[in-house]
Amino acid sequence: MGKELSATRKKRDINKVAYLFIAPFVLTFVVFSIYPVVRTLYLSFTDYKGFGEAQIVGLSNYIRVFKDKFFWRALGNTVRMWSVNIVLQLGLAFLLTIIFSDIKYKMRGLSIFRALFYLPNLIAATSVAFLFKTLLDWKYGTINQMLVGSGLLKAPINWLGSTLTAPYIVAVIGAWMWFGNSFIMLMAGVQGIPKDYFEAAAIDGAGRWKVFFQITLPLLRPIMLYVAITSLIGGLQMFDIPFLMCGGTIGNPSGSTQTVVMYLYKFGFEINQVGFASAIAYALFMIILVISMIQFKAFNKKEA
Amino acid sequence: MGTKVKRGILYAALILLAVCCLLPFILMMINATRSGSEIVSSFSLLPGKALSDNWATISSYFDLFRGMRNSLLVAIPATLFTAYFSAMTAYAMAVYKFKGSKILFGVIVVFMMIPGQLSLIGFYDLITELNMVDSYLPLILPAIAVPGTVFFLKQYCESVLSPVLLEAARIDGAGEIRIFHKIVLPLLSPGIATMSIGAFIGNWNSYLIPLILLNSPEKFTLPVMIASLNSSTDITRNQGAIYLAVAISVIPILIAFAFCSKYIIGSITAGGVKE
Amino acid sequence: MKMKKIMSLLLAGAMVFSLTACGGSGGNAGTDTASEAVSEESEDVAVAGNKEAKDKLVVWTLSNDLAQFAEKYCEANSDVQIQTVVIAPADYTTKVQAAMRGHQTEPDIIVGEPQMLEPMYEAGYFEDLNKAPYNAQDYAKDVVDYAWQIGQDSDGIQRTIPYQITPAGVFYRRDLAKKVFKTDDPEEIGKLFADYDTILKTGQTLKDAGYKIFASEGEMNYWAGDSAWVIDNKLNVDKDREAYMDLCVKLYQNDMTAYVDTWSSTWYNAMAGEIPVIDASTNVWDDEAMKEAEKNGKTTQVFAYGLPSWGVLTMRDNVGDLSGKWGVCAGPSYGFGGGTYIGISALSERKDLAWDFLSFCTLNEDTLNWWIEASEGDVVSYLPVLEQHKDDENEVYGGEKLYAFFLEQAEKIDTSRITKYDEALKKAWGEAITAIKTGEKSKEEAISNFYDVVESTYPELTVER
Repeated sequence: MGKELSATRKKRDINKVAYLFIAPFVLTFVVFSIYPVVRTLYLSFTDYKGFGEAQIVGLSNYIRVFKDKFFWRALGNTVRMWSVNIVLQLGLAFLLTIIFSDIKYKMRGLSIFRALFYLPNLIAATSVAFLFKTLLDWKYGTINQMLVGSGLLKAPINWLGSTLTAPYIVAVIGAWMWFGNSFIMLMAGVQGIPKDYFEAAAIDGAGRWKVFFQITLPLLRPIMLYVAITSLIGGLQMFDIPFLMCGGTIGNPSGSTQTVVMYLYKFGFEINQVGFASAIAYALFMIILVISMIQFKAFNKKEA
Repeated sequence: MGTKVKRGILYAALILLAVCCLLPFILMMINATRSGSEIVSSFSLLPGKALSDNWATISSYFDLFRGMRNSLLVAIPATLFTAYFSAMTAYAMAVYKFKGSKILFGVIVVFMMIPGQLSLIGFYDLITELNMVDSYLPLILPAIAVPGTVFFLKQYCESVLSPVLLEAARIDGAGEIRIFHKIVLPLLSPGIATMSIGAFIGNWNSYLIPLILLNSPEKFTLPVMIASLNSSTDITRNQGAIYLAVAISVIPILIAFAFCSKYIIGSITAGGVKE
Repeated sequence: MKMKKIMSLLLAGAMVFSLTACGGSGGNAGTDTASEAVSEESEDVAVAGNKEAKDKLVVWTLSNDLAQFAEKYCEANSDVQIQTVVIAPADYTTKVQAAMRGHQTEPDIIVGEPQMLEPMYEAGYFEDLNKAPYNAQDYAKDVVDYAWQIGQDSDGIQRTIPYQITPAGVFYRRDLAKKVFKTDDPEEIGKLFADYDTILKTGQTLKDAGYKIFASEGEMNYWAGDSAWVIDNKLNVDKDREAYMDLCVKLYQNDMTAYVDTWSSTWYNAMAGEIPVIDASTNVWDDEAMKEAEKNGKTTQVFAYGLPSWGVLTMRDNVGDLSGKWGVCAGPSYGFGGGTYIGISALSERKDLAWDFLSFCTLNEDTLNWWIEASEGDVVSYLPVLEQHKDDENEVYGGEKLYAFFLEQAEKIDTSRITKYDEALKKAWGEAITAIKTGEKSKEEAISNFYDVVESTYPELTVER
């Protein structure tokens, strides 16, 4: 009896420790993250122009956003580039994870390959943009030089100047930059799975596909959710590469590479209609929120 | 089609992919040794002779070593903070039941969705009101609370920690804090090391916030210096110098990456599943 | 095996760089551009004068020029130290905004290029220079008209003063001119650029001779039309704008440009001579083949650039062996671009000292005479000094008297057409031109899209289609 009582008391006490653990995070978070965000929300209901007084204008910024055909065009661009990026990036990462966690093939050299695949993520976006912009230059870029010089192409392709190719180039570069990262995440997940599970399976005599689908995959699900959500968020907020490679916020050619965040940046930092820009930010946020919730539900349903 | 053949094909494919990743890197390093006009007029995989010229051009503009030192001064503490406090928070959320844990999680995920560019304005206002302009504090302190890392580590905890293990430790008489430091942290280390790489790189390459908040040139971090290099029209014509600056800025990251990688591998072979 | 080799290559590369990194300290400025003449220690560039000096000024600027002025100032005023921070133009306004909104008392001196100024005037960042003790208007007659006016806000109050003027000119190759047009006289060549139609004809003549009139059609940017973009809150797109659009499209589509982006490396290289043209039959791996194929469009030379007066310095640094073979003539109208305008922060606590420095940089005869030497050719805005240098000949440009030329151009610039919407509208118009020239959109579609963009960006403007 006495032991039981003290056991339950311990349990209640243990959980209280959690508050201690999360305290630093919560404090910092409220000050440095929540406050700025709330302030931006406030600004989205005003006509703030970056200086002077901010007059409340109610929902008119939001109405303007939803009526603005360029906002929707930017959204369309963003989704299009994002989907190509995602499929490439996650597909590749996943494929690599399967290859390296396969029992039968026992591929070696994981650490070296992982390091190499991660290289693209190490360079800052500004440098990547600069590098590829030069490489892909229409008349003078190295890539065209190589392709034309070796006879693969008759005439140089205007990679960044044609609406047919430019968005896909941006998407591919994005995938190139991030697939290593996704691969590392997934691999870390696989490597964290306790050995016992695999030993038990070996004793049971399970074949490698069975092991993969019934042990590895389900245990990987939390990480997969993380990768899916962060890729979604990161992708829909795409800014650096198209901004630096496609002529600033315009999104050459003909705005085909203009993402929502570039659109937001134009109004927030170039035209200085900060109130309107804040509304764009929150409009995007609402969209991301909806899609994320769908993703969450999809993953959690599987578990039940 | 034996296993060996299939393996061979797989290796070939992997190597091809690796080359794709490596090639721009190598190009960058090679171009750092050539002069601007060479780079434009021809393509070469061999290094050129303009390295010392390019170096002289850059260092006449600013002191790269100070920039690197400053970047390290910011990136290392920030990464350590992120790693430690995120693990702590994630562990608490994964293992303990407490009021508000669901809300906290929701808030974290939701906050990840807000486009960074716009909370910038509110952030600047805050920093200036707190009078922290031109110091490294606003670059390091916020690293304590990184929603993305907490999210990942929470998921990681769920994959990796078994409740049985923790119970066993408790029965043995260990306090919660001890359990966290002696048992959980080591178990989480592959995940932590993974996130630390990302955190370090993010901090190292971070450009916009240091640019706005730092006023004294001697405090500038490396990316801020390089960015001003990019827009200085006198140097645009000398691409070689820019490539060199970029190449140099990447070296510390390579080192950090090698270090973290070893750590990941090390702790895996100890706890171990696969190589 | 292969993997190990790759890794060791990478490591070796990293090691080599760290070795050279350790070796090369104190790289001195020897190599580069004297216009941005940088002083020895990069750390000390930031602070001029005695570090112990009790009076201090903080200057935020866009280029290294003011750092040099600061040094000169501190030579004469030993109890002052000046800290100069150079910020890239793209980030400059954001940084100033952050500082002003945070009620920072430093910087004391803020600058801007013309397109950046109006929003800053409206925001109240600059001190009113008309009032005592500055009394700026006392100096009005000593500064070139158009530049003086840009320094005023919409109520006519002087907020900033420039130290340079930047009228635009066409920089052309004298040797090619002699070959094709039998003359290299600026007056005569100027006639070839007198209006858009003539420019096209000139372009055709040059194309037939195997040259390109411009490196890109963006060179005409500074003469894009003399009308105001907005009149009484109404968008104004007059015939001149359309003519400019047609000109750009024709230059591009008729193969009269070298298809280079302005400010790219190749654009610079073309100042020094030939640039390659890639097509199917060029074997890029063969250096000799490249050199042989000269006039068949395999390499080409650019005839002219459109640049403001500071282009004198840019070109001087890039012309290499072609020095002496360039000249400057007038374009189809009077345009200008850029220029640094200096003002005092409204929040500064050292306004008197700031004014002393400001007037030193912009209204002091000795300083500006010194600047002309130190910068090797910058065109200042102070009339008395311009008068003195009227007969200076510039060797890079075949002994042409550039100061006289630019003064003449500057006197005819009309600033009344400038509005705060200009930047964004110019960008949108440029976007339309790009769409048409590459064939993405027809002219009607592009212009209609342009109207859409304007409406969406500035809902307060009335747009008539």
